[in-house]
Amino acid sequence: MTENTQAGRPMTLQRRTVLGAAAAGVAMLARPHVAGAQAKVIRVGMPTILSGRVAILGTSSRTAVQYAFSRINEAGGLGGRRLELVERDSKGRPDEAAKVTRDLINNDGCEIIIDGEASSGGFAVHEVIRDLPVLCIHTNSETSSLTADPKLHVKTAFRCARQGVHDAVAGGVYASAISKQRGLKRWMTCSPDYAYGRDNTAEFLEFAKMFDPSIEVVDQVWPRLFAPDYTENITKALQVRPQAMYSALWGGDLVSFIEQSNLYRIFGNITLFSSSLGDPPVLTAIKQLPPGLHTAYRYNRNYPDKASNTAFADGFANLAKHEPTNWAWQNYVAAQFIAEALKRTNGRTEGAALAAELKGMEIESPLAVSGRLTLRDSDHTLIGYPTAWGRTVPKAPFVEGFVPVEWSQVLEMEAQWKKQKGYA
Amino acid sequence: MRAGLMRDLLVAMLGLLLLLALPMVFPQPSLRDFLIYVIAYGLLAMSLNLLVGLTGLVSFGHAAYFASGAYVFGLLMQSGAVSIPLAMLAAVGGTALLALVIGAICVRLKEIYFSFITLAFQMFIHSIILTWVDLTGGDQGLRGGIPRPPFLGIDLGEAHTLYAFAAVIFVLCLLVMRQVWQSPFGYTLRMIRDNPARANFLGVNVVRMKLGIFVLAGAMASMAGIIMALFVSGAFPEFGFWTTSGEAIFMIMLGGTQVFLGPVAGAFLLQLLNHYVTIYTHHHGLVLGVVILLIVLGLRRGVADFAAAWLAERRATVPPAPATPEPVKTKAAG
Repeated sequence: MTENTQAGRPMTLQRRTVLGAAAAGVAMLARPHVAGAQAKVIRVGMPTILSGRVAILGTSSRTAVQYAFSRINEAGGLGGRRLELVERDSKGRPDEAAKVTRDLINNDGCEIIIDGEASSGGFAVHEVIRDLPVLCIHTNSETSSLTADPKLHVKTAFRCARQGVHDAVAGGVYASAISKQRGLKRWMTCSPDYAYGRDNTAEFLEFAKMFDPSIEVVDQVWPRLFAPDYTENITKALQVRPQAMYSALWGGDLVSFIEQSNLYRIFGNITLFSSSLGDPPVLTAIKQLPPGLHTAYRYNRNYPDKASNTAFADGFANLAKHEPTNWAWQNYVAAQFIAEALKRTNGRTEGAALAAELKGMEIESPLAVSGRLTLRDSDHTLIGYPTAWGRTVPKAPFVEGFVPVEWSQVLEMEAQWKKQKGYA
Repeated sequence: MRAGLMRDLLVAMLGLLLLLALPMVFPQPSLRDFLIYVIAYGLLAMSLNLLVGLTGLVSFGHAAYFASGAYVFGLLMQSGAVSIPLAMLAAVGGTALLALVIGAICVRLKEIYFSFITLAFQMFIHSIILTWVDLTGGDQGLRGGIPRPPFLGIDLGEAHTLYAFAAVIFVLCLLVMRQVWQSPFGYTLRMIRDNPARANFLGVNVVRMKLGIFVLAGAMASMAGIIMALFVSGAFPEFGFWTTSGEAIFMIMLGGTQVFLGPVAGAFLLQLLNHYVTIYTHHHGLVLGVVILLIVLGLRRGVADFAAAWLAERRATVPPAPATPEPVKTKAAG
């Protein structure tokens, strides 16, 4: 094959050159990795969302794990072995999440997976782990069924993240106490129109009504996910005149909703309860944060009120240049669990061995409300994390007056919910 | 049996052997995974090219059939009532029926109107997937994995077997599409693409022809969806989102529309770029955009089309070998 160049000198492109380049490409793709028990480094893979509208989910998850690993490595590693994070962007696509997870295990020699995917990506990674049973800790999926549904159980998969049903019970307890106290009977909801928004709202209302049967839902509006304009929903609220509103909006959608609502000053007359307002990036993005809005705990450097929590917040903020997110603490804690499991297995990284150690493991953590966090034995999920609710204030860290909800109550209600769903 | 078919069968056999041999030479699972991904998206792009390249119908909603195949297959397998081959047949048949209904409306429209109505139907199907949570799992997708019970001694739960199965399905689908590409039906479609009024004047039922290829393209896309569902052991609403259709169009643009295997080359290139760019930067959109821009502006066609044109030009410029004069034979009339 020949090709004329601009200089007029013929450039020879031999067929064997092309074939050789193709073979080299295939060989590169199929290059073997050095892994296993002999390696000095334990590679931990993280499929997550690092680009697009919710990139902060992935970037804050990554920074939290890097921070945790750097502290472990600086302290001498685990029996001389260092922990290294290898992250890959799934772009928020579940099939891509499945592919990059397989790549991380098969190609990059990752012996452990921290799944930083949200919702559907988490389920896709879960199925990969069923096929390739390395240790996997889901750190960002809040969908309860991931670990609550026994049909989905995977022996080497755990969840180190808050869970929808726990938040719903805590929200129900907190909101019903305020509704009884202030006589808030007429409620409205404004949540994103997709499965998470609808499930989260239904669960919140179920528990709120259980604790205060006088609550009446007068209207429900469902703006589409990532909607830029909420005028229609706000106008509806002005017409219906509810006394309280629950919203499962999150991220940029919640910021837009609050800022547009401010124009109509609706939060002077309507008491807002939000599942996601407590995340520091959301709080800091709102230019005029109305005081007195009720929010579930997502993260706060002053709660739990511990020196170790403040140290975590400072350490993370030094690296990320912003306050920790909800995803950040979940990933930081997951890294702590992994390190403890590796200590107990003397550095063995087989999925079954690590899973055996993690079942029912308790660790001390900056995020534990009563001393310790637990990865529950029965369904491989995290309990003991903060489920408190607080009120917004105009200055940093923007939420205060956290009211904790007893974990014994959360667990009791969760057990009933599991029976209802046929999970127990 | 016509000579063209024999040649196609031979090429298909060689291609299949190459696909099956690659993981033996390079046994890393990552290559196998990569190739399954290329096979699934390559098949999607090939099926779309039956509309775009062959018939001149630019569909923006082709991923609807990819999703339909994945969901119908996944739901049937999760029901536990049918075997894998039966579920595949039902998924392809069901999707063909869906394409027939949608196509009966779409193919009556032309150019941008056709493109937009296909997009509208795709968004309609995507909305159904999102809102029919009890059946589809909504935005979480089909949860709990897709069971892969062995059939006829074939265990798709085993990674090598799954790869070989995907390769065989891929080559069989390409063979079917190739026969359509080279058939009188295929040439009629080219005529419709180039001059529909003339085709109509010559007695061709343009609507029926377009509908036929629309249904076939949908059925082939559903097969791609089934392969993807088997690979990721799930089905997700993103399969039916417009971005998946857009990606298939990118593959066609990269590979070319006029060379039969151009879209497969495009799928390979896009997945290869995606694989490496994602490893080294999170600005993959920017890098991919620049590469596609360079190809579109530099080559002004897909790489396979460019290569084919270059080869044809080269053949035309090479002076013919001196011919041996043959004795002139005269043939008796009658």
